[in-house]
Amino acid sequence: MIFWEIAKRNIRVHFLRSALAMLGIVIGVVAIVSMGILGNAMVATVSETISSVGDSVVVYPYFGGGGMGGGSTGDLRITDQQFQQIKRVVAPNVAVPVQSTSERMKIGVSGDDIIATVYGVDPQYLPDLRFDLESGSNNNANSGCMVGSTYAKDNNIKVGSRISFGSDGSKGTLRVTGIIKQRGMSFDISTDNAVVVTESWFENTYGRKDYDNVVVKVKQGQDSAAITSTIEKQMNKRDKVVMAMDSKVVLGAINDMVGQITTFVVAIGGISMIVAGVSIFNIMMMSVSERIKEIGIMRSIGTQKKEVMSMFVYEAVIIGVIGSAVGGIMSLLGGYVINIYMFKSTKYLFTIPNAISITEGVVFGIVVCLACGIYPAWKAANMNPIDALRHE
Amino acid sequence: MDTIPVMQFQDVVKVYPLPAGDVVALDGVSFRVDRGEFISVMGPSGSGKSTLLNLMGCLDIPTSGDIWISGTRIREMSDSALTSLRRDRIGFIFQYFNLFPLLNIIENVTFPLMLKTGKGVDPERGKEVLRAVQLDDKLFTHTPTELSGGQQQRVAVARALINNPDILLCDEPTGNLDSKTGAGIMDLMTELNRKGTTIIMVTHDSHIASYSKRTIRIADGRIVS
Repeated sequence: MIFWEIAKRNIRVHFLRSALAMLGIVIGVVAIVSMGILGNAMVATVSETISSVGDSVVVYPYFGGGGMGGGSTGDLRITDQQFQQIKRVVAPNVAVPVQSTSERMKIGVSGDDIIATVYGVDPQYLPDLRFDLESGSNNNANSGCMVGSTYAKDNNIKVGSRISFGSDGSKGTLRVTGIIKQRGMSFDISTDNAVVVTESWFENTYGRKDYDNVVVKVKQGQDSAAITSTIEKQMNKRDKVVMAMDSKVVLGAINDMVGQITTFVVAIGGISMIVAGVSIFNIMMMSVSERIKEIGIMRSIGTQKKEVMSMFVYEAVIIGVIGSAVGGIMSLLGGYVINIYMFKSTKYLFTIPNAISITEGVVFGIVVCLACGIYPAWKAANMNPIDALRHE
Repeated sequence: MDTIPVMQFQDVVKVYPLPAGDVVALDGVSFRVDRGEFISVMGPSGSGKSTLLNLMGCLDIPTSGDIWISGTRIREMSDSALTSLRRDRIGFIFQYFNLFPLLNIIENVTFPLMLKTGKGVDPERGKEVLRAVQLDDKLFTHTPTELSGGQQQRVAVARALINNPDILLCDEPTGNLDSKTGAGIMDLMTELNRKGTTIIMVTHDSHIASYSKRTIRIADGRIVS
């Protein structure tokens, strides 16, 4: 159609300003989409590291109403009696009692002292905690222990290495029997930078038989929220003695937070799109006012209002589609750079959420151009042909 | 000959309401134009010539009175219907040629045809009309700025003729041309009229007006002769 042709030629004649307007849209789309890609990558990283451990409810001793110095540390543990109670309450789900402390330790004979977390776990519960091993086995004899992958890497530990606990090995030495695969951030036990010992070794070494927390592994098909509230209700009948934390809720809260951050940064990107829209509006108004006489001639020789309007809308659409398409491609490159810098990998790049982000950005860019082209086009179409014809 | 006039004005009044008071541009104008006529409209500036031209060209509607174009009363027509009427029944020729700079000659000429059919350029029809206005074939793919004033006006005449209008409406068609080129355009007009085209030409040049068969003189919004 001839109006499409005229729109194309007008863009070609005013190439520089059209290209600048397109550049604005490109920047707008890139800003929005790359922020979206960043957010998607964040969500993907968080959910990947957390959800792999499965749903769990972690029960902690109640710390009181907050503030410092409220009660001695001895009060802030879960007693064996309380654990038995929890176990009954959560059945058939498995409750795993966990002891933990921070300890000074040394690798081999002449290593430097390091400080890491030591978890005491009864070996019977190890299958429930689903530790995947990089090497070795989880066959923890009383003189054996397992270490996390980060811990192993940092300290150059292999299966068979020896770790002595306490200053100058005062608390004994254990042999590493297995190295636990990276588990990432988790709510039950963060093993990556820790040592896992047997419950009996822990009890003998530290002389206590109470627990720092209890991890309830929620079985498939069970409702973690219901278990959480049951624990809270049953255990805190008289006094509040424990708190239960649902990993799903925490995960949801983190995802919400990441989502909000993503929305916020995308909105900041959106500002550049608004600026681009203003520049489109500006050049479309320019294009209309330069061509008032031409519009008058067109109208007088029988061009309908909607045909005049279409000519200007086409112009805005051409700028919008080219700008947004280039922006979409550029933002894929931008997303690539962000992924390489922040996550050192591109595995979060070619995903469905990113495809959605790119589509949204491109569509938004086109819509902005169209919206900003409509008023100038309408203005052109509704000019009085006599006045327009007389315009010099 | 059919008896329906191609254009008829009946007691046409055009009033422009202005803050300082209403301005009566046309005050009870009546005339008829029959098929095949060649009429010039003359009058000093401010006489209502431009208003009359706008009304004849269906760019405006009268305050009172009636206008018929080939039997169609334009008084109560919508903007869209008036636009179609201009496209199909009236051919406009302007003083400043008013070709579209972004389109080449063939596209300029066939523009009203494209509006009518909704299709693309019909080069055959364009060439046919351009030959009728005696334009050199070599110029067909040029842009308007590459043509002389006389050539541009020929293209404008061809554009006005492409939809076979009932009336050719000319506003000072030679006003922007030297006298020799102007005479060439007037010869073309005379030739077109001889072949049956109805022409109404607004001018203040009595020499140009002498090409026409009838002259309507207008002063202070009224026809004086």
